[in-house]
Amino acid sequence: MSGLIELGPLQLAIATLLIVAAGVVSIALRLGIERRLAIAALRTTIQLGLLGLILERVFALDNPWLVIGLLLLMTIFAAREAVSRATRRYRGILADAWLTMAASCFLVGGIVTQVVIGVNPWYDPQYVIPILGMILGNSLTGISLCLDRFMDYLETRSAEVELRIAFGATRREALAAPLRDGVRTGMIPIINSMAAAGIVSLPGMMTGQILAGSPPMQAVAYQIVVMFMIAAAVALGAMLVVILAGRRFMGPDATLRLDRMTSRSDHYH
Amino acid sequence: MGVFLECGPFSARDGEGRLLFEDTSVLLADGQCVALEGPSGSGKSTLLRCITGLAWSLEAGRELDGAAYSGAQMPSWRAQVTLVAQDAPMLAGTVRDNLAFPFAQRAGCRQEFDESTSGDLLQAVDLGRLPLDREVRTLSGGERHRLALVRGLLWDPPVLVADEPLSGLDPEVAEKSFELLLRYARRPGRLLLCALHDPEFNVRADSRLRLSDGSLREIR
Repeated sequence: MSGLIELGPLQLAIATLLIVAAGVVSIALRLGIERRLAIAALRTTIQLGLLGLILERVFALDNPWLVIGLLLLMTIFAAREAVSRATRRYRGILADAWLTMAASCFLVGGIVTQVVIGVNPWYDPQYVIPILGMILGNSLTGISLCLDRFMDYLETRSAEVELRIAFGATRREALAAPLRDGVRTGMIPIINSMAAAGIVSLPGMMTGQILAGSPPMQAVAYQIVVMFMIAAAVALGAMLVVILAGRRFMGPDATLRLDRMTSRSDHYH
Repeated sequence: MGVFLECGPFSARDGEGRLLFEDTSVLLADGQCVALEGPSGSGKSTLLRCITGLAWSLEAGRELDGAAYSGAQMPSWRAQVTLVAQDAPMLAGTVRDNLAFPFAQRAGCRQEFDESTSGDLLQAVDLGRLPLDREVRTLSGGERHRLALVRGLLWDPPVLVADEPLSGLDPEVAEKSFELLLRYARRPGRLLLCALHDPEFNVRADSRLRLSDGSLREIR
């Protein structure tokens, strides 16, 4: 089994030439994206560098509270990111997204780390943090897509929703169709990546494990667990987030309150 | 005749903040067709949405045939005081989906979708040839309006509230549809409240309400 080839400052400096090459292309073709490219490259370096430093400290300190604190912080960032991708807003959207992230990711992540993998000690940051990170990163896409689609349905197809309400639909009946539509949309990316895994794409985590020297079959086993757990987290999270969002737009009296929805472009007009 | 439908007070403003009506209540007896008149933009549609409980209003009380409704009973209110909305909204699907869906909801599960009655009603508005498995998106505007009207009549609620149900219909079909509406309304335990575009139909209603300059008055 081959070990890991370490990357030092020299190797990173050489890699920097690659991003400079990308910038040269932008300047040569007058794409006008060299500034954004530079900022993005800088952000990647700083954000990942900080993450590396934090992870090294957390690994060294080996303290369960520190791990839990970091996980909570990650859910907050994930919720913010999920909300910032949605084109519509409502009061309390951040709280709903955070609650959803925390619930679905801790539940699914807990099952995977504690029951499937059997991490010992239970908070071992080497396993717990990357696994939760992957669930969060993927379910935030699913949750924001789902939320976006749900609100889009309520707004653009409000006549249909109100038609059901006019004939006595309860809240559950009135929201069933937009809810289904939202969850289905949120599930599509993970279904696609499961279907394409290994044929069209080599999943990132598996690639990383192989680079780090794991036997391929072990990397495959981990990747399958990860795919399944993401699917579960997205399904659970998407369902939960639209139920919470639905309650904001409709009380038990089943009156559709679109006035509570704001569009992100509202300040343009 | 005693009061059958009682609801209000309602207040509403339009999109620009102009007052449409304020502290307006509606008290109506059953067995009649009531026309709601008023210049366009006077808030007729908004008032009909308030009465049927689609527009949100905090302080309004609602009573039907002596029973009060509020909060979680609102779905039940709407199942009995049912709006046939202005632009004939349809669910994506077939004619049958659109006629039958209310009977699949909890508020309508005591009745069942009756295909022969729906056939009779479709016939009565000159839609007898329309197959039930036709996709509604292929219907013309006039056909949609008639289908929406048939859906309301088939549902047969105690109070039917119709917002311009005859718009876009040619005179002959409009006449047939109006007669159908009158037949529905002039029964004990039934009430029709409708906004009609055509003054000729308004004068044939059993009573007339006029909404203008922020207040609702009965025309005699």
